[in-house]
Amino acid sequence: MRGGRTPGTARLSYESRKRRTQLLFVAPAVVFLAAFAVFPIIQLFRMSVSDVRVSNLGSDWQFVGLENVVRNLGQGAFGGVVVNTLLFVAIVTTIGLIGGLAVAILLAKSGRWSATILALLVFVWALPPVVNGSVWKFLLGTQGLINSVLLDLGLIDSAVPFLFDDRIALLSVAMVNAWVVIPFNALVFRASIISIPAEAFEAARVDGASRWQEIRFITIPAVRPTSLVLFVLTVVYGFRSFDFIYVMTFGGPGTATTTLPFLGYVQAFIRFDFGLGSATAVIAVLMVAVLAVIYSRSVRREEIG
Amino acid sequence: MRRRLLAEPVAGPLRFVVFVMYAVPLLWIILTSLKSPADVIGSQSSFLFEPTFDAYVTALQNVGLYTAMQQSLVIATGTMVLVLAIAIPAGYGLARVDSRITTVVLGLLIVLQMMPQTANVIPLFQLFGQWGLLDTNLGLIIADSALLTPFAILLLRPFFRSVPTALEEAAAIDGSSVVRTFFSVVLPLARNGIATTGTLIFLLAWGEFLYAVNFFLTPINYPLSALLASQVSAFGINWPGLMALAVITSIPILILFLFTYRLLREGLTLGAVK
Repeated sequence: MRGGRTPGTARLSYESRKRRTQLLFVAPAVVFLAAFAVFPIIQLFRMSVSDVRVSNLGSDWQFVGLENVVRNLGQGAFGGVVVNTLLFVAIVTTIGLIGGLAVAILLAKSGRWSATILALLVFVWALPPVVNGSVWKFLLGTQGLINSVLLDLGLIDSAVPFLFDDRIALLSVAMVNAWVVIPFNALVFRASIISIPAEAFEAARVDGASRWQEIRFITIPAVRPTSLVLFVLTVVYGFRSFDFIYVMTFGGPGTATTTLPFLGYVQAFIRFDFGLGSATAVIAVLMVAVLAVIYSRSVRREEIG
Repeated sequence: MRRRLLAEPVAGPLRFVVFVMYAVPLLWIILTSLKSPADVIGSQSSFLFEPTFDAYVTALQNVGLYTAMQQSLVIATGTMVLVLAIAIPAGYGLARVDSRITTVVLGLLIVLQMMPQTANVIPLFQLFGQWGLLDTNLGLIIADSALLTPFAILLLRPFFRSVPTALEEAAAIDGSSVVRTFFSVVLPLARNGIATTGTLIFLLAWGEFLYAVNFFLTPINYPLSALLASQVSAFGINWPGLMALAVITSIPILILFLFTYRLLREGLTLGAVK
């Protein structure tokens, strides 16, 4: 107000006032997220160093330091769960990215057939995970469609226990997760392929390049920045995933399909040991924080580049 | 032309394989929902059977289903409204102000967006117990909104960034306040982004079941997704009944999808990369 005499400062104060108002637009989100997203995470850290059961969930937590973490590491299953998590994320990311790129290349040409398939894929992606999980639990059953087809084709002698075998179950659930994430990755890859100038392909054609060479030397280099971002997004998606595990196997048989985030949930809500579950969840949260840093770096590079 | 013919023998059949991989599971949901439980015991993969609407009739006779539908609608709509009310102004503010605060907030939003929901559910259960929000729709709407708001802000921001500042400056010269300019100039131009975000929030809230299963203390209040989740993880599944429930849960998504597919196709790619 005081500087409002000369035109220059008046303009400046208008600018700064505008900026302050625009920053105020962010205030409701900051308040809401501080109360219902950030504060709960702080509470999670507090619970992870306390002895919290159902009986004392409301109050009177006893501070136990790192005892929950130690108890976790002492359990034989914990190492296996970490391995499960890494395997799960690796399968979802590999299949999700390669499948997504392949589908994007197949559907990049416009046409009615491509458009129909793309719409179908996006619809499947939009369905509730519990619906997709249910149908795959059914299809992968001992008497399910997949086993029937494989038996009829003579590829197997007896039904494969896709969801009941220690070694196969993790692969099955991870594949279903990849199946759901492929539509999204394909959509993003496709947008990036479509933005490649048509001249690039025409020039390659004049030089007599085959379709494979086009993909190898034009398409793949062009989508590299996109794939970096999608890589991190798919890793995070695979890491966070619990819905298909919940619906299809509930972490079993034994702990064969239990990943780190799912273990935390089971410890808290099935075994009612909230302290132990929180400690597991904190480890998962810290891993996500690392991934988030990698992600923001790759997005910034993409925006600059 | 010759090249086209040479290229298609590979791409054509592969496209068909992709189609089959995504169409068959959907087809099987519908086929199974039209079978009788006895048909499924015989063979789960049979194509020839006498279609029956028994599973639907049984499902629709269950009074609990209508409560679940209503719950799904209330929770998904409530979450969509609350998230948009918070995320629209925030997305605009973060699109316009470039300062260190913006960078910090954006970084925090990315971290929050990536949090495993299984980590959020533990402290929220504890806090909602203290705050009296367990077993209430309001509690579930708040929890879903806290989960989805970071995503919504990050998705909306690029849409607001693409609105030219020149238009706002012109409005300001005409004496329009920042708030009025926001409502009369910026919001109409960002309507596609808002529609895309709103649709996605509705879809995600409709499918959410982990909070619903844990924060509602009795299944009476479950929305459809939670009902489905609790039935599919139970022993001795009645598959035709379950698939009928899956179809009923998916129909609103299909309707929404038919109206918003174009928006989703464009909006998703923008939000993912930026």
